[in-house]
Amino acid sequence: MIMNRRSLMTTALTLGAMKAFPGLSFAQARPLVFATFTGSWEEAHKAVLVPAFRKANADAAIVLDPMLSVDQIAKVNAAKANPPIDVMLHDPGPALVAIGQDLVEPYPVEKSAYYKDLISEAQEPTGPAPFFQVVGLTYNPEAIKTPPTSWADLWKPEFKGRVGITNLNSTLGTGWLVEIAKMRGGSEANVDPAFKALEELKPNLAAVAANPGALATLFQQGQIDISPGNFNAIQILKARGVPVEFVAPKEGAIAFKTTIHIVKNSPNRELAFKLIEAALTAEVQTTLMKPPYLIVPTNSKVAMSGEIARVLAKDTAELKQKFVFQDWKKINEQRSAWIERFNREIKI
Amino acid sequence: MGAAPASRDVTSYGMGLAAPLALFFLIFFVAPLLQLLWLSLHNDTAGLHWGLGQYLHFLTDPFSLSVLGSTLLLGAEVTAVCLALGFPIAWLYQRVGPKLQTIIILIVLLPLLTSVVVRTFAWIVILGRQGIINATLQSLGIIDTPLKLLYTQFGVVIALAQVQMPLMTLPLITALGRIDPNLDDASCSLGAGSWRTFFRIVLPLSLPGVIAGCTLTYAAAITAFITQSLIGGGQMLFMPMYLYQQASTLQNWPFASAISIIFLLAVLAVVSVFTTLGRLSRGYGGA
Repeated sequence: MIMNRRSLMTTALTLGAMKAFPGLSFAQARPLVFATFTGSWEEAHKAVLVPAFRKANADAAIVLDPMLSVDQIAKVNAAKANPPIDVMLHDPGPALVAIGQDLVEPYPVEKSAYYKDLISEAQEPTGPAPFFQVVGLTYNPEAIKTPPTSWADLWKPEFKGRVGITNLNSTLGTGWLVEIAKMRGGSEANVDPAFKALEELKPNLAAVAANPGALATLFQQGQIDISPGNFNAIQILKARGVPVEFVAPKEGAIAFKTTIHIVKNSPNRELAFKLIEAALTAEVQTTLMKPPYLIVPTNSKVAMSGEIARVLAKDTAELKQKFVFQDWKKINEQRSAWIERFNREIKI
Repeated sequence: MGAAPASRDVTSYGMGLAAPLALFFLIFFVAPLLQLLWLSLHNDTAGLHWGLGQYLHFLTDPFSLSVLGSTLLLGAEVTAVCLALGFPIAWLYQRVGPKLQTIIILIVLLPLLTSVVVRTFAWIVILGRQGIINATLQSLGIIDTPLKLLYTQFGVVIALAQVQMPLMTLPLITALGRIDPNLDDASCSLGAGSWRTFFRIVLPLSLPGVIAGCTLTYAAAITAFITQSLIGGGQMLFMPMYLYQQASTLQNWPFASAISIIFLLAVLAVVSVFTTLGRLSRGYGGA
């Protein structure tokens, strides 16, 4: 071979590309990739779950690649045969999409040591729920002296122009709408009553936030005093000194299962299983339940303590009684129609 | 080395130098765009059945059309505000000493040096119920209850105008700088008043800058997802949020692709109107 400028260039580029994208040449030998969520989830997993996993598995290599559920689905979909992610984390809506698109490996339940310890609602053969997210009422205790007790309190005339909600883009917004529908005689299949109720809520509405994160800003700015809110988001605000309190309404707090899945065709199936096992253990869940994480556990062997025991539930029995789980299979069927209707009807 | 250099066409060097960028555009811009177009021509979310259903859905749905309309209108409003506020600054810049010029440039550029998210959050603080505007008006006794500024069209326009202002002011400063100051004097000495001089001399000659500024501001304002959703909230739907909703929440990629293509064409139409005006104004300026 004669060495000329062009062939030298090609060789250099190839070497460079192999360096820059090691996946080109060594597709099989990559570390376990766990797509967690961004923000406080990533922090919690980096600090607690990853060390626990590595300790139990001889320091196995693991990479956290935080991204939204929709991006996880898109990435796996783009390379189904050799997915770049091994473990996915999903809210109930996206989880069903991932399962529906055949991106998820069934969880090896019979092999699992901890699956049977989970409370029954968290036992999902497509991927168990290591955590719950809880939605209840959030209010500003400086402006509202008597704590609210029910979703119906949002309609009280004294909260004229003080209520915030989010649109249906978020799990929170959609779940809340379904809960309102149930309160007014509807169900996951029929949210007409909720839209009627929203119509009545309009005088009270100060803001329809584009996402749950924006609600937090609105509390901080005094734009709203009461809204449906995510327990964990409120704890973060509280820790920053914002005057907010969380209360579980008497109808029950809405609980979302955050499920964790082994990706189909993952080259690291065994390690993926081990990571999920670690997430299900009582030790990891107990640590995550404590401040600053305050993540609601799903392992029935975890003894509830602290803020979670104070405002949510003292034990699994109370948790089961106070939490409301929704049928997201039903919700997903009509969600796009609801979003469209919300777009059209909710103008303030 | 071969014997190529002797017979090589000298012009081929230029093309060769442009190749890396062209390749980059081809892979990361043209290819995804074609994929988007391909996806938008399917009637189902899995992308199996060809058809124009997504476009028909959008173009026959009054709600979708109203979202497109309100987005284009928002751009026009923001552009008008930027032009009205930016022109005097640019004009002033040409008439002050070098020290003040540095200060003006600094003030104009300052917003560009902070992230859009930070600037938008500042506007939440300014427009909020307990924000600077409401607090001032209340302490002066002008209003009793706080005005609703956040989550209104007014709020979005004002915030976007500030966020995009440099895109308007910088081309205007350049355009006004190119005008020979003697023309002003000539116009005055021939008996024209200052307004007449402005409308007959300064404005026509600055038109290329005005058009460049308007195009940039317009394109940036209608696609400003962050500012639109943070200041406008969840009930005010503009095209970027509509797109996000369809793609991200509903996973309806074909419809989202169709929305992007329609949005792209609408923006191209508006921009080409601006460019046509620009071409006309060049003729006017030269006359």
